[in-house]
Amino acid sequence: MRFFHLFIGMCLTSVALSQQIGEKNIQFIDYPDFPEGNSTWGDIGYNPVTDAVYIGVTNHKNKIGFYEYVVSKDQMTLKGFINELAHLRDFQWQGKIHSKITFDENGHVYFATDGGESREEYLMNHPHGYYGGYFMKWDPEVEEMTNLGMTMPYESIKNLDIDTQTGKIYAITYPQVHFIIYDPNTNTMEDLGRLGSAHVPRMTFTDKWGNCYYVDWRQRLVKYEKSTGKLVFARESLPAFEGTPGEVIITGIKSYTKDDAHDVIYLSTYGAKVLAFYPVKTGIGSVEELGALYDTEDIPLWKPHCPNMNLGLNGNLYYFIGGHGNYVKKDTTVMMELNPKTKVKKVVMMFPTSELSEVTGNGVRDSAGNLYFAGRKIRPKNAETPEGLPSIDDKVSIPFMIQFNPEKELND
Amino acid sequence: MKNLLLAVVLFGTHLTAYSQYTFFTPEGSFAIEASLENTDMVRLPIYRNEITSLSVVGDYIIGGTSASEGLSPFVFTASLEERKMTEIFDLSGVVDGQQRIRSGFVKDEKGKLFAGTMPQNMESSGHLISVSLDKKKKIVVEDFGVPVIGEGIYALTSDPTNRVLYGLTYPSGYFFSFDISTRKAEVYKDLAPSEKVRFSLEDHFSVTAEDYLSRALIADDNGLVYGSLPYGILFYFDPKTKSLVETEEELPEVWGRRSLGQIHCWLKTSDGEIYGANRADGQLFKLNTATKKIKNLGKPIMMSGLAGLAEGADGKIYGVAGGYPGYGHLFSYDEEEGFVDYGNPQFNMVEPGIEQGIAWRGYQMETITASEDGKYIVIGEAEALSQLMVFQVK
Repeated sequence: MRFFHLFIGMCLTSVALSQQIGEKNIQFIDYPDFPEGNSTWGDIGYNPVTDAVYIGVTNHKNKIGFYEYVVSKDQMTLKGFINELAHLRDFQWQGKIHSKITFDENGHVYFATDGGESREEYLMNHPHGYYGGYFMKWDPEVEEMTNLGMTMPYESIKNLDIDTQTGKIYAITYPQVHFIIYDPNTNTMEDLGRLGSAHVPRMTFTDKWGNCYYVDWRQRLVKYEKSTGKLVFARESLPAFEGTPGEVIITGIKSYTKDDAHDVIYLSTYGAKVLAFYPVKTGIGSVEELGALYDTEDIPLWKPHCPNMNLGLNGNLYYFIGGHGNYVKKDTTVMMELNPKTKVKKVVMMFPTSELSEVTGNGVRDSAGNLYFAGRKIRPKNAETPEGLPSIDDKVSIPFMIQFNPEKELND
Repeated sequence: MKNLLLAVVLFGTHLTAYSQYTFFTPEGSFAIEASLENTDMVRLPIYRNEITSLSVVGDYIIGGTSASEGLSPFVFTASLEERKMTEIFDLSGVVDGQQRIRSGFVKDEKGKLFAGTMPQNMESSGHLISVSLDKKKKIVVEDFGVPVIGEGIYALTSDPTNRVLYGLTYPSGYFFSFDISTRKAEVYKDLAPSEKVRFSLEDHFSVTAEDYLSRALIADDNGLVYGSLPYGILFYFDPKTKSLVETEEELPEVWGRRSLGQIHCWLKTSDGEIYGANRADGQLFKLNTATKKIKNLGKPIMMSGLAGLAEGADGKIYGVAGGYPGYGHLFSYDEEEGFVDYGNPQFNMVEPGIEQGIAWRGYQMETITASEDGKYIVIGEAEALSQLMVFQVK
């Protein structure tokens, strides 16, 4: 089922509304056969080998549906549930996948699991406690899930990346913020220790050489330099708007997308600043400021919430602002287009939160230039609401995948 | 409750309304950024900063660190009043080839601090060092030499009344005394773990000498020095007879975990009472030095381990319990109130470049000490980049 309602506000202020992109450029695609699935958390990725998008949908409790969207067939399929595919017992419950979904050169799919932050953190060896998150590998050819094991006991894995040349996995744990390197070929794991303070920066990313990046508590880039096997710390913090609170600084980078053709990685910080990062093979590269995620005088510039970013084939960045009760316009999610060369940004579309309340996903683009995000909406419970879907104050959260192409109509 | 927590994540409801727990962040608490890579500020470098020895002299926090394999530790100072690091001192400048200062600091009769070191490999030996501050409050480290060749110094205590240090070596578990004035050591091997005991512990229980040698020693008011033997058996050294005595008393045990019995820390309070902790399961106990009997006071938290104790000016004992593979908790104990678990402390860190302040949450807390007046409690972390956490006692 596809559903889509475009809402265009009449009270735009300092940002211009794009006239070119409209509802025909976007479609929302349901996840079938998992009525209690209520959310997705950045766990989306495109596999060029299978020309498919993979997503983890969770009930945010103990069940995660693993989905494959085959682009050529325009078909979304539930491949199974993580606990069953990976032979987990009930006491090894997992609350969600919070990591990106990423791939090696052979098209094997990698991701990591997460406790989900409620009963996870302090129950530990209690019968209801959390044993820890796992690395997972999915072989799409034979449709087989392999559990690659844990990092640290009791810890979730918030994100991971893979060095496609060596097959080594980089990961970050929650809540102790440990940077982990795991080699599935030798089953060896290296814990490089704690890098954060009271909150775990969620985002890791790699460059073309297979170096992996993270941030410390000062929001300085930290690079695992593959050639030396050491952590390299940037001298300076990433730029931040004046008045950015400490709790925002320590949370680091919120979204990113890569422009491989031009050796640029675009970032946005929790402090809502857009940056162009130019990596180098050894040492820390340079950073260029591209401005605010959203220009407004109504709220502090550091405040907008944007855990997603994609790059169109047209060279423009696309991202949705809003979520976690933080919206730049009341009850409205705003989709933005930013030209990183000119630094000009536009509002592309706006959606009431009952149609789109929060979007995650970074750097997910297929070979045809379609961009993918993981979206969800919050709306009142109604007669169509699945029986098993949890509701709070009569509201339910419903997840769906977003396919968007700024240069092509998707809705005929 | 489950539904309320889900609301926070799914619907963005106000976090404060549904928090599962609150962090211990008392008024006047603060964190000092002790470690940071790639900076000109006075900071300890990565992997050389686990704060495994900690004391306070006047306004100055004095720390000794442990480093990763092949790296040298530091001695450092930080000012309580200024809430900042003031100096770091690379121990390799005085004693080369050392990796850890893990014995804790002990004081002689003049208040000079002493510590023992652990070498980077067993081809070297651990040294006794003294640490003091000169008139300009600069760190002065003096090498007092090697008490036992081929051994590291695992635990250390002092009897200020006779200017003697007492220590336990690693890996052999020899007990030694060291006369500060003559700089001469005497070694006692009577109660060192036998080959049979070592085989049993290492082969059957997969523990190492780090797990069964006493991690701390303490001297009572009569000069007797206490520690633990494998399987949590209490021993003491009598300096008058120069003999080691194996008692029949054992550390409080969680049944079946006797093989993990090990003194993790000791505390002698201002009124001469002695408290200790079993690392196996983190039990706090009180030692009656007259009867040599132990009273089990219980476990402050679920996790094992109780790495440090300190006496506050309010008469309470503060401690750090738990740790890897979980997270450490700060707790307090007094006879009236019993245990109070404060969980992970979370203090504000204000430093150049982060003037707005950031929250620092303590997970792996290795050391705890009190200022000389007992008004400040100082906690040292053992992380890749370890920090100091300080709170004031009311």
